[in-house]
Amino acid sequence: MAEPAPGWALRVTGLSKQFGRVTGCQDVGFEVAPGEALGIIGESGSGKTTVLRCIAGDVEPEAGTALLRRGPDVVNLFALDGPERRALRVSTIAIVYQDPAQGLNLRISAGGNIAEPLIAAGWRNFGRIRARARELLARVDVPLDRMDDLVGTFSGGMRQRVQLAKAVANNPALLLLDEPTTGLDAAIAAGVLDLIRDLLEETRVTALVVSHDMTVISMLSSRAVVLRGGRMVEAGLTDQLLEDPQDAYSQQLVAAARGTL
Amino acid sequence: MTVAELAASAGTGEFGHLDEQSKREIRNALLTAVAVPGYQVPFASREMPVARGWGSGGLQVTLAVIGPQDTIKVIDQGDDAGVNAANLRRLIVASTGVSDTTDARAASIIQTRHRVPEDPLGPGQILVLQVPVPEPLRGVERDMRELRRMHAEADYSRIWVSLYEDLVRNGVITQSTGYPVLVGGRYVMATTPIPRWDVPRLHQAGFLSLFGAGREKRVFAVPPHTSVEPLAFEDVPFQVERTEGASCLLCGAVEAYLVEVPARHGWICSDADWCWRRREAADG
Amino acid sequence: MGYAAARGGLDAILAAEELMRAKRDGGASPPLEIGQLTERLNLAVDRVMGEAGLWAPDLAARALRQAEGDIIEAAHLLRAYRSTRPRLAAGLVTHADEIEILRRIVPAYRVPPGPQLLGRTLDYVGRLLDDGTPSGPARRPATVGGNGQASHAHRLAAADTDDHGHGQGGHPGHPSAGSTDGQSGDPARRSPGRLLDLLRGQGMIRDRRRDDDPEPHDVTREPVRPGVPRSARLSVMARAETGALVNLWYRNVLGPDGYIHEITLGEVRHGRLPVRVTHPVTGQPVRLGSVRVTEVEAIEDLDGPDEDRGVFDVGYGLCLGHNERKAIAMANLDIAVERDGGQGALEQSVLMTTDGLDASGFLEHLKLPHYVTFRSMVDRKAAIRAAAERPAPDQPAAQHQAAAVSQ
Repeated sequence: MAEPAPGWALRVTGLSKQFGRVTGCQDVGFEVAPGEALGIIGESGSGKTTVLRCIAGDVEPEAGTALLRRGPDVVNLFALDGPERRALRVSTIAIVYQDPAQGLNLRISAGGNIAEPLIAAGWRNFGRIRARARELLARVDVPLDRMDDLVGTFSGGMRQRVQLAKAVANNPALLLLDEPTTGLDAAIAAGVLDLIRDLLEETRVTALVVSHDMTVISMLSSRAVVLRGGRMVEAGLTDQLLEDPQDAYSQQLVAAARGTL
Repeated sequence: MTVAELAASAGTGEFGHLDEQSKREIRNALLTAVAVPGYQVPFASREMPVARGWGSGGLQVTLAVIGPQDTIKVIDQGDDAGVNAANLRRLIVASTGVSDTTDARAASIIQTRHRVPEDPLGPGQILVLQVPVPEPLRGVERDMRELRRMHAEADYSRIWVSLYEDLVRNGVITQSTGYPVLVGGRYVMATTPIPRWDVPRLHQAGFLSLFGAGREKRVFAVPPHTSVEPLAFEDVPFQVERTEGASCLLCGAVEAYLVEVPARHGWICSDADWCWRRREAADG
Repeated sequence: MGYAAARGGLDAILAAEELMRAKRDGGASPPLEIGQLTERLNLAVDRVMGEAGLWAPDLAARALRQAEGDIIEAAHLLRAYRSTRPRLAAGLVTHADEIEILRRIVPAYRVPPGPQLLGRTLDYVGRLLDDGTPSGPARRPATVGGNGQASHAHRLAAADTDDHGHGQGGHPGHPSAGSTDGQSGDPARRSPGRLLDLLRGQGMIRDRRRDDDPEPHDVTREPVRPGVPRSARLSVMARAETGALVNLWYRNVLGPDGYIHEITLGEVRHGRLPVRVTHPVTGQPVRLGSVRVTEVEAIEDLDGPDEDRGVFDVGYGLCLGHNERKAIAMANLDIAVERDGGQGALEQSVLMTTDGLDASGFLEHLKLPHYVTFRSMVDRKAAIRAAAERPAPDQPAAQHQAAAVSQ
């Protein structure tokens, strides 16, 4: 393959996925710089979640490449087999699902959920695992006296915080966020959104943020792409996209959002 | 040619109950097991004169490896006299004519349920352990396809997480017997239900351990000089069974696996023959 | 032998065996003969053969007698016996259409292709405890539902009428052997035609036939796990415990976690199938005899969102001997597992939990001494209680217990 251009951490080209007769996504491509958060905007059915799931390895695309830079190496995520993908999900790629129940085991404690990626990465010291879990829970503002409570007893907002803590536990190279605050009450969502923004800034992790919500995209991402019917219709700086959308569909989205912003 | 002649030429189980073909199949599975320590090898488990769950797997392993020159010892809970041990022993002896013993030092093959003999065993000795449930991950996963993947990819984080949760909830690891171990640094294995007391004695042992699960149709093995490490956090040492102040009422032993005798307000050795020999040595 | 007590276990076993023998063979009644079992309790003998996976009526009867009527024990005796027998030949393929019918019903159609034959069945015999008078071969029952009904119906199989107005002959519109399509006597008994062929001809069946001839999975040579081919699943169910299959089906239809529905039966057959092998000397196929089987084809309506609702699918059940509830459960579970496609736990339940010997052996092994393991559990209880009493902030109690460390 040709020498890739420097300056990107993730480069996706020609990503396509069909679900029977339904187009999941078609010929999607973009680049994300190291430490940058790229927003993927669209309504439900636009394909944004499909794109995320393909990169996460939950879904297998029909076509496309997804090059991820890891130190000096570049790996094509779509060329890896199941075990290799799962290995990447331990320390390199992390995903925060819209429904925290998908990313957490509700039948174990908050600390246990965070212990899992640490253990998968080889941590074998109980005291140190506890210490790191405490540190992460504190960082996401989960009260430490709930560390040993089953996550099933947590509210939606708290569960999402635990999911975030779990996702950043091993300092992943790529963080994927799928509608991270959708489904949370507005007040709770605002707090979680602030947390995510702070975490992204602090950890300088490369991130993809999928949302239909302009607020989320504008808060978290510097650049964004707009999807409709599985295809990209526009891409650019988030601020510019919101100020001056070019595509008709983008204009509709922004206009609709303005009513709520 | 008659059917009887055909049958005669095929060979029946004159030595060791099973026919040669069956024994060969079991030995092939055992060779795979020895080559991949701790890995559960499927085998075509035959129905035996003892019921499933009562040692049919251990029996098949013993009958597959035993030869006319061997000496067999059979114990259950460490005791040669138990009815189940006695039953298995008479089946083996009747079908092979081999000599039997209760002295672990003199036996070349020891078939056991739930214990490793107190005597240190050495090269040339085979320990055959009866296994009720061979799957160490059974507590964290029920789906057999997922279990297969976990072993194949050495993805054992969930059992470690269950140990973490156990510690957090109970302050100690509550697993009693059948403690999960990492064998040869690769496969997590169930130590049948031998007590934790016996687990360290499998580590870098001089003898060969063969495990037979007849009902579940799996065999596995720990070859001599193989590492067997209980899954334990570095800073939470593995604990064996111990009761302060307990010693054997009969022989006085403290450093042995003891079982309680409430009627006599005390304890006795589980390894009955080892205990008896200690008494003989003390008296004589 | 070492210490004196070592003989104790053997003495106890020998005494127990003697007690068994004395009770079983003692008493005032005459000894049980094999013919009494194969003729008078033939359904029990059939069930033993089915659960042993071995056709050998006399041996099964002997096993049943030795096991004092315990079906699982008898099946174990038979299977353990089978373990010691050398394999001399492999059977050639027998098509199920070669069946010589003793009974055949088609619930799905009033007038199916081929004759319906009520045959020998207890289905319509009233559940009235009879007075205990033994019935002779030619007895005519005085009341409806007497236990001569079944054999009576069987003898009338070739005729159209039935004095009682019950059974297959008497009702207008109810077909009996020979009435519907002009066939009667032996040719109709063999290859009576299948409902499946009719539906297939109308393009209403999902066609699962294949061109290749794959070797069936031999479950006695290769242990099964989820993902095995259908032949393995059918073999496992053919040898499974009858109650296990019936209850697994029932649980999946009505239980809190079950999602299958009951199925319309296409064929329920009881009859004889020929067994043939290749002669070791001549190399020609030779017929050894026949086995009696029960065969069921179940027609599945298909109501899943991803399924082609324009066709039916088929579930299959076949077991040794006359055991309809087992074959019907088999057919229902077969198609349920097929449709489930490995999504849920049904396949694993069917493959791994329905064997009678495995289940009861494992259950009863709990009677074996477990004092070594129990002592270990008691140790943990003590450790947990000690840990609870200690106010350990964030470390597990174990870190404070230096004394209990091994080596």
